[in-house]
Amino acid sequence: MLRYIVNRFIQMVVVFFLFLIISYLLFDAIPGNAFQNLLLNPSLPPYAYEETIALYGLDQPLSVRLQKYIVNFFKGDLGYSYIQFPKTAIELIAERLPRTLMLFSVVNILAFYTGFFVGKILAWRRGSKSETWITITSVFSYTVFYPWFALLMLWFFGLRMGWVPIGKFLTPSKWYDSPFDSDVVFLEMIKYMVIFSVLYFVITLLTKEIESLNLRRNIRLGSFFALLFISNFYWNTGQLSEMRFYAGDIAYHTILPVLTVTIVAFAGTALLTRTTMMEVLKDDYILTARAKGLSQKRIRDRHAARTALLPVVTSFIFTIVTIIDGSVLTETIFSWPGMGQLILESVLREDIPVAMASFSFIGVFALIAHFLADVSYAFLDPRIRIKSQG
Amino acid sequence: MSDIILDVQNLSMHYETLEGNVLAVKDVTFNVKSGESFGLVGESGCGKTSVAMTLLQLQPENSVISEGSIKLDGKELIGLSENELRKVRWDSISIVFQGAMNAWNPVIKIGEQIREALREHYPENSKQTNIDKINQLFKMVGLDESTANRFPHELSGGMKQRAVIALALSCDPKIIIADEPTTALDVVIQDQILNEIKKVQELLGLSLIYISHDIAVIAEMTDKIAVMYAGSIVEIGPTSEVFNSPKHSYTKALLDSTPSIKGEKKKLKSLDGEPPSLINKIEGCSFAPRCPNRNISCKPERDMKLIEVGHDHFVDSCSLGENYE
Amino acid sequence: MDTVNNSENNSLKYESLKRNFNLFKQSKIGVLGLVIVAFFGLLALLQPFLFLTNIWDEATYHPVVGYDSQKIQATVVSCKDIDYPTPEYKTPNDCPGPEEVNIVAVAPYNPGIQEGDVIEQFIQPAPPSSKHILGTDSLGRDVFSQLMEGSQVAFVLGLLSAIVGVGISTLLGTIAAYFGGAIDAYLMRQSDLVLMLPTLPLLFIISAFAELQVWHLALVLGIFGGLGGSVITIKSQALQVKVKPFVDSARITGGSRMKILISHILPNVAPLALLYMVFSVTGAIASESILSFLGLLNIDMSWGLMISVAQADGYINQGMEYWWLVLPAGLAVTLLAGGFYLVGRGLDDVFNPRLRKR
Ligand SMILES: Nc1ncnc2c1ncn2[C@@H]1O[C@H](COP(=O)(O)OP(=O)(O)OP(=O)(O)O)[C@@H](O)[C@H]1O
Ligand SMILES: [Mg+2]
Repeated sequence: MLRYIVNRFIQMVVVFFLFLIISYLLFDAIPGNAFQNLLLNPSLPPYAYEETIALYGLDQPLSVRLQKYIVNFFKGDLGYSYIQFPKTAIELIAERLPRTLMLFSVVNILAFYTGFFVGKILAWRRGSKSETWITITSVFSYTVFYPWFALLMLWFFGLRMGWVPIGKFLTPSKWYDSPFDSDVVFLEMIKYMVIFSVLYFVITLLTKEIESLNLRRNIRLGSFFALLFISNFYWNTGQLSEMRFYAGDIAYHTILPVLTVTIVAFAGTALLTRTTMMEVLKDDYILTARAKGLSQKRIRDRHAARTALLPVVTSFIFTIVTIIDGSVLTETIFSWPGMGQLILESVLREDIPVAMASFSFIGVFALIAHFLADVSYAFLDPRIRIKSQG
Repeated sequence: MSDIILDVQNLSMHYETLEGNVLAVKDVTFNVKSGESFGLVGESGCGKTSVAMTLLQLQPENSVISEGSIKLDGKELIGLSENELRKVRWDSISIVFQGAMNAWNPVIKIGEQIREALREHYPENSKQTNIDKINQLFKMVGLDESTANRFPHELSGGMKQRAVIALALSCDPKIIIADEPTTALDVVIQDQILNEIKKVQELLGLSLIYISHDIAVIAEMTDKIAVMYAGSIVEIGPTSEVFNSPKHSYTKALLDSTPSIKGEKKKLKSLDGEPPSLINKIEGCSFAPRCPNRNISCKPERDMKLIEVGHDHFVDSCSLGENYE
Repeated sequence: MDTVNNSENNSLKYESLKRNFNLFKQSKIGVLGLVIVAFFGLLALLQPFLFLTNIWDEATYHPVVGYDSQKIQATVVSCKDIDYPTPEYKTPNDCPGPEEVNIVAVAPYNPGIQEGDVIEQFIQPAPPSSKHILGTDSLGRDVFSQLMEGSQVAFVLGLLSAIVGVGISTLLGTIAAYFGGAIDAYLMRQSDLVLMLPTLPLLFIISAFAELQVWHLALVLGIFGGLGGSVITIKSQALQVKVKPFVDSARITGGSRMKILISHILPNVAPLALLYMVFSVTGAIASESILSFLGLLNIDMSWGLMISVAQADGYINQGMEYWWLVLPAGLAVTLLAGGFYLVGRGLDDVFNPRLRKR
């Protein structure tokens, strides 16, 4: 197991270096840079352009720059933004990354679970009328033209119904006299979510050994509500009780993007789960499970879905990159100031250091996701676990 | 000893396929008494597995039972809901599938997969009771206790097969169906497993339906035997009687084509031709085209129908001469 | 002799095609997809037909430079800042009503105009009428004609990129399977790397230094699709074929590697590749629409552009009032992409024995 992880890790590092080099070369190939319009300004002396170029180190040969770039990358120095000068690329990313990450993880967890659930039901009800309808709906939401759909959602829920805010991360008017920085509040929210999920995960682990299935389920359900109840106290302590109002505002703004992306993203998982489940249902051990007299639900969840989970997880990871793609659109349409928006803006305005830094970060992110997926896959499938030991 | 556990009457079943209906089980009638071991023998593709699946009502989606009844302990199984069937399965009747190698879910430990069945049928059991029970079962079939904590791919074929037998025994069924439990195993292991099954069956006083294409194995294992051809039972009777005085030409051919059980060397006579396609209904005797002594004693145009020729010994009428009407 | 053989062969092929089509017809979902795709195919072909036969003249119906003014007789009214509801209007938004125009808006061009006058007004965008069955956009262009043009773009791009992509992945996949070793390892790492690239940001970057044309995009999408995950799938399929007995016997009887690859392995990988092709059309259509929606594609007309224009002009925020600008293009992208997906699903359901019911 350990060897497997180490192996994957080394591979990851190699791929990452390649990725850095390729992305640098790509950006280098872009003709022009943000300073070319200095040349258009007749009131500047001609050497001003050259000096600026030299200041940013753009006059050096490619190999030197590439080397410098990689060394600096690992030092955490990604250069200054051309457009928002005193800010560094890292600062910009540090500000935006948590927002993207949080939206991204909430949406993905939701989408994966709904998708897996719906797919399971679809395969189980094969051939029924409801299957045809759910399939058509899922295909629709899988192939729906995303920006269009998001705009319509925004129009319907935001403008027409007025239930949710129309885009943005927060309501500025509420924050004028706020004692807190929005990022601090946001980090506090993330901290809470992490604590909550870890606690719940621990409870699931602890209850794993309970023999009676009903009891096990009830305990888990009960402790979930208990955690919710405790959360209430948590947000009433100290500073948090004042922060609650602002946290609520941010949470309110996440509703629509989360809903929209989930609707679009769940379908892929659902359709894939259906296919894999249907293949699994042909396997002999499903017949054994039926012969044993197990309940339909148990056969579906424990035997079929558990095995079908493996390929679904892998391909879900493969699609993470596409989900990142989607986040560019999501953030643009919902004016959510995250990484996706940053990358689009910086490319459009040729703010190369920022564009490059965010592109690399997305790459790192995808890479880590792949790595984690590989490792968790190995945990899920005992066959791999064993093989890698020997 | 003579009370009937399983009573199958006029069972007919077909599969709906793109090419047409495959008539896999035709008008099959037999019964199994408590403690008795019953053999079902026939060539590959004659419908043995189809019969076994139908007994548990586990037949695939595209199958249709056109007529007949299956009474288990006096209770009709055909037409029961899935929930009612769940209570019967494993509790009264369990099965060792053909190709039991794949009977285990690859991602769940062996012990857990057995425990699952126990939990379903004995919800009041504590965890320890279940574990004890499993250990006892493992001992019975000659497996180590630690097997419970292993994943299926960590076991050899023979171990998996023994574990499957332990699984089949776990809920104390009244009757076990063993569908070619030893194919894909080497001869030595085959023998061990057969002995194991026989030992356990006698020890627990179970009824057994043993399915095989190997008539020699059937002879060793069973008290009563049914010979199947193209979906129908062509001869049925006490094993010794069928072996000593086979009446149906197919049974004779089958016996001739097997090396003698008693050890005397006989020339192997294999049957010519292929079994008929089951897609279309066959008029008259389905064995006629391959029958070696068609012209001597058969009436191929006669519809298939079992006729009693000795005590409890029935034979398909069309393979009998003029005397039988 | 040869010809006889050939025709026999053809009729055999025809027979098996017919049989396969009958199989395919069993999948309701697949047939639905086929109907959708055929509908848009017809739409794409109809437009050149209409222009060539002069049923449509280019000046009015051209999707990009056509122009048609719709005139209506409008009554001049004045909307004042007074308390609503008034007897005529319920809210301030209802004034001016249909076939009415606010005096403030027209006074500068029509000196001496008075309330109650009736003047000629151009309306753009114009709602659907018998002349323009999906109305016109804010520049007076026919929306239906634009939809047809977009359909052509989608087909050309989708099919082109799918063919390029599947060509590449089939080639590389079979090579990886057949030769194994270092070549295989290299190809697999390469797909890992490509899979990791965020496509959309990458396309942004590419569009930043090249005027991205449709066929450029098709090539880029095809190449990235072809180098990515599908190589792995095709390879594993080819591996299964490689161990089949007929490949062995071909090798023993002395077939060259190339010949075995082409005559034995490729045909067996082809069905899966075809399936991939159908699915990848879905992705290509979506990518094209997104890029033209973001204005990163150098293109005169496409479905994405239509939505982009509708959004830039603020019609989407007015919801269903200008539905002919909002709905057709978005639905077209969704339906065509979905249609291709459904065809793929249908093929998969029927021809994948692991999924087949009977
Ligand atoms: N799900 C199915 N759909 C269609 N036909 C089937 C199906 N299952 C079995 N058959 C057909 O029914 C017939 C009987 O099959 P069955 O599996 O019962 O034979 P068997 O006697 O068990 O053979 P074997 O000794 O090889 O196990 C065969 O012709 C087989 O092709
Ligand atoms: Mg069988």
